[in-house]
Amino acid sequence: MQDINKEKPMIMHIDLNSAFATTEQQAHPTLRNKPIGVTNRLSKECCVIAASYEAKALGIKVGTRLSDAKAICPDFIMLETDAPKYNVVYQKLIKIMKDYSPNIKMKSIDEGIIDFHGMEPVLNGRTLVDIGYEIKQRVKDEIGDYMRINVGIGPNRFLAKQAAGWHKPDGLDVIDHTNLKAYYEEMELTDLSGIAERNEARLNSYGIMSPLQFLAADEYMLKKLVFKSIMGLYWYKRLRGYEIDDYDTKLGMVGRQWVVKNPSNKNDYLLPCLSFLCETTGMKLRFRNVEARGICVWATFRNGEYWRSKRMHKSTFYTNQEVYRRAMELFNQRPSGADVTTIGIYCYELTPSQRSQLDLFEDIAKKDWLTKSVDEINDFYGAFTVHLASSIEGKKIIKQKIPFGGTEYFELLLKSA
Amino acid sequence: MNPSHEVNERVDIVPIFHANTAERVLCMPWKMRFRGQEIVFTVFGMRHPTTKGKRMIHVFEMSDGTNDYRLEFDAEHLTWTLASIVEGHSSARY
Repeated sequence: MQDINKEKPMIMHIDLNSAFATTEQQAHPTLRNKPIGVTNRLSKECCVIAASYEAKALGIKVGTRLSDAKAICPDFIMLETDAPKYNVVYQKLIKIMKDYSPNIKMKSIDEGIIDFHGMEPVLNGRTLVDIGYEIKQRVKDEIGDYMRINVGIGPNRFLAKQAAGWHKPDGLDVIDHTNLKAYYEEMELTDLSGIAERNEARLNSYGIMSPLQFLAADEYMLKKLVFKSIMGLYWYKRLRGYEIDDYDTKLGMVGRQWVVKNPSNKNDYLLPCLSFLCETTGMKLRFRNVEARGICVWATFRNGEYWRSKRMHKSTFYTNQEVYRRAMELFNQRPSGADVTTIGIYCYELTPSQRSQLDLFEDIAKKDWLTKSVDEINDFYGAFTVHLASSIEGKKIIKQKIPFGGTEYFELLLKSA
Repeated sequence: MNPSHEVNERVDIVPIFHANTAERVLCMPWKMRFRGQEIVFTVFGMRHPTTKGKRMIHVFEMSDGTNDYRLEFDAEHLTWTLASIVEGHSSARY
């Protein structure tokens, strides 16, 4: 059995506490120490996408509907998201993190990792705990006095993240070989990042009921029986503090989905919305400097059914018109009758952009110039200044949302904010 | 439900430019005249830039201790606009 990693902890995980809600409280001093929430679009049945700590203490969490939150606390205040505000916080946090190591990675808008490997000579004998407290103070000085962060330090990304969540809010903890078992003893299986109900049930079925038992499980059992894949080995190493999560993910697909505001099956209503979704998908493709060959359109219906259709094309595409034309062909094949509740579109088989390459059969230069010109106009005057006529109505209905998972499209979102 | 009330009116502002202070509070509005009333800001919430097309807008979130004010400074037209007010007490009216 492999020992616990005794390497000095050199990974720091930084997590902004209730990022969007705290940022709003920073901006609005009268809302401080009050239960507030943030949502993408205010309506009677909107959901909380970020709750302040005061709201969380009352049981109002991410996903709670406004009506339920009001029932719990009549004084609950809901605000709409404000992307430029969060971008400032995000940019300032990156700037602070980069002062300590060139090797940083943002995991999402509100959390990031600083890898201190190889940075020992410039630390001048200071410990990561000292640096963690300094970063906390700098966040207060440079971003705002109400901003609080959790700092976690560990020998790998997994343990650093766990340490950051140990004592919320405003905590700073280290997990290494000296206190690893004591930490696991305090925790439940679902407290481990990556273990939700299904993985918990999987572990439970093999008699693993706690993180300590998970740690004690042997490699063969995890790989061959519990997870039945290489994931078992990854978990075996991750739990012991060995790094297996330091990799860059490959861009596999680019797309957009939308919960239909007023479920319907009428093309008059749905096609302009699909056109707008295609427009933002095209923008994303060009923003990532890729072209796609495959396209998939999917929908869910009010009767609970799910439909999807995908097609691989011989040539690549990247313009809004091409995405829309291909998506519409597929969308028109959907089952008729039931009202559509969600529409999704994604492009796959992505390759680096080859926009300068000429095509024998198509007047590609004309298409390229037109797209470039439209993009430049939209860059100068604001996103969607010039857009497809077919998406005029869709643009009025669909609102851009704050991306929660990644930060890849944040810059793009700000142009349209 | 939403505590923010849109105003969108041009206002008179007296700003302060500090010589030596933290970057985030180098420049901030100090006083505002709005509908004949003089409001002195006591708490600085946040400043964040945003754009309207290519026009740079500096948004200042300020408070007088009772209400919060969202002020927008258009760096091209040199105008100050009171965009919205968040009332700290429901009795406050504008």
